[in-house]
Amino acid sequence: MDTTTNDLNMNLFDRVLDKLCLTPIGLAGLILLLILPFIPPFNQEYMLRWLIYCGFIAAMSVGFDFTAGFINIVNFGYMAVAGTGGYTSALLVLNAGLSPWIAMLAGGVSSAILGLVIGMISLRLRGIFAACLSWFFGLAVMGLAIKMVWLTRGPLGLRVPRLFETESNFPFYFLIVILVYLTYLICKWVVRSKMGLAFQAIGQNMDAARTSGIDPVFYRVFNFTMSCAIAGVLGGFYAHFYGILTPDMMHTSKTVEVLAVAYIGGRGSLWGGAVIAFPFIFLMEIVRSTLSHLPGLNLVIYALVLILVMIYYPGGFSYFYDTHIRQPKNRALRYFLNGRDA
Amino acid sequence: MSKHNMSVTLTWLKTAPGLSIVISIAVAVAATIDAGPYLLVNMVVTGGMLALVATGLTLMLGVLNIPMFAHGEYFMIGSLTAYYIFTPISEFILEHPDSWLVTFGPFIAIIGALIGGAIAGVISEKLVFGPLRRRSTDNWVMNSFLLTVGVSVLLINLHQLIFGADFKGIVGYWQGMPISIADVYVSKDRVMSFLISAVIVALFYLFMTYTRTGMAIRAVSQDITGAEIVGIDIEKIVLLTISLACALAAVAGGSLLFMYPSYPTVGLEPLYMAWFVVILSGLGNILGAVAGAFMVALLKVITMEYVGAGWDFVVPSALIMLILIFKPSGIFGSDVRGVLDK
Repeated sequence: MDTTTNDLNMNLFDRVLDKLCLTPIGLAGLILLLILPFIPPFNQEYMLRWLIYCGFIAAMSVGFDFTAGFINIVNFGYMAVAGTGGYTSALLVLNAGLSPWIAMLAGGVSSAILGLVIGMISLRLRGIFAACLSWFFGLAVMGLAIKMVWLTRGPLGLRVPRLFETESNFPFYFLIVILVYLTYLICKWVVRSKMGLAFQAIGQNMDAARTSGIDPVFYRVFNFTMSCAIAGVLGGFYAHFYGILTPDMMHTSKTVEVLAVAYIGGRGSLWGGAVIAFPFIFLMEIVRSTLSHLPGLNLVIYALVLILVMIYYPGGFSYFYDTHIRQPKNRALRYFLNGRDA
Repeated sequence: MSKHNMSVTLTWLKTAPGLSIVISIAVAVAATIDAGPYLLVNMVVTGGMLALVATGLTLMLGVLNIPMFAHGEYFMIGSLTAYYIFTPISEFILEHPDSWLVTFGPFIAIIGALIGGAIAGVISEKLVFGPLRRRSTDNWVMNSFLLTVGVSVLLINLHQLIFGADFKGIVGYWQGMPISIADVYVSKDRVMSFLISAVIVALFYLFMTYTRTGMAIRAVSQDITGAEIVGIDIEKIVLLTISLACALAAVAGGSLLFMYPSYPTVGLEPLYMAWFVVILSGLGNILGAVAGAFMVALLKVITMEYVGAGWDFVVPSALIMLILIFKPSGIFGSDVRGVLDK
């Protein structure tokens, strides 16, 4: 856990970087993501489509990790929450004629309300029971989306206008990269403040946290509401990118996808999931499309990776990075990996 | 009947288990009078199956502290095994209608499912849970939960990869006229599947209560260190528990093959329902799980009858969330503690 240091010998660049919660390597990664669609194999539309999906999962996994990695509660209905945001946004655009951009934010608000409710209900439960409760909640919401045919057209799906009027995927790609970064930045800012400490204290030992004067009720509900709001906005993006929204999006298996990426990336790091999602989901999409005569193979690999990581390396990629890569002998390299304050 | 017994019964009736059992019986009777006895039959058959799956889940949670998300997949393994055993048998029966296999063939398939489930349980303990237990015990509940999520995705997609995604079902186990019970015609398969589940649950209860091994299992579930001190071989008990729990789920899948044809995600519905039961009835309580299974089955059947098909996730999960808000430890009690409890 790094705290903001007001060190006087930091130059302006370092200070800006620190405010933006980036290390030089993080900045390099972000720039790489931004120029990626101009590099030959990735500049085709179908590749971009995959990359956008990677970005969506990356942003979702950051929001997911904000709850799972800090207050240690797995929100098992996370995709259902995102779907609520997506449906709210789509319905507002279709029925009230709102602009998709405002509707996306409205989707975030509706998901935040849902998160508030789940957070309040699950207050009395711990660990696995809170996870189950959010799971049941997700199932119920998905059931509603399937059965309220007059509103959502059920399994047929809604046709939703896209955010940009073009056929091209380029603007969507840049938007999702910005959204991934914004999600990370907001979560990181909250986590860096005193609140982050309180979250971790609650996640590690609730009784000890309460003894030290932390009110778990406020922090848990706040955490839930915020991560659900993020999911809602992202769900709106999903709806307005694919242009079609079915209740399938809310399925538990989708949540499992986000969860797997978040955990393989490393819990409690926020950036781990975002970093892992791009190569990992991209590879899975390649496997899925090239070996299409073997349906389900990508998910088998997926599950195997999740199982192996959970057994042999529960810290995930971020733990590996912190222990093996982060502290090289070379000073320039160390600056590149850590920024000034290391 | 003495006066003392009466007052004991009355106080029991005022507690949560008493109240809920009485209310469910009343609701079941009322619905039966209103809609016809087939409702009761459906409830009993579904409840018997659920009791098997939920008992296994309770066992895993109570003894090993594993919140099993993959339990439905052992149900799937059971139905798959039974299908591949019973298909040749039914072909043989077609040619030789007088052979002894007409009566006993289905039993072979169901016992095959039981054995298949037990073997699958042993394999997953050796490959997955054992290594995790040897490597880490901190944050065990959450880690093992995520591990079972991986196992679930893995098994579902292996099924799809190897056996295909189509429905592998049978017309029925036992041919012949339906049996008439109180003016309702119930197919032989349903009667038999209920009988099988009743016998197995009863045997299981007796096993847990009266045999040395059953007592050892209960001892491990109460206090693992204490059990080790008295000389119980933990590894053996753990292996036995997992194979028992998986076998229970598999036998449910095998005996219900005529209702639920085997396909990759067949296990999800029993899984959801079994989790409803476990959360509703509290943990580590076998009799509670059996009672809870019939309650959830009643809920499901009544929802299907009065609200409509497809709502059977929405209404039960909403009701269970309501129950959890007021009684976080489930109706039959367990030691789950929430934020608000002191």
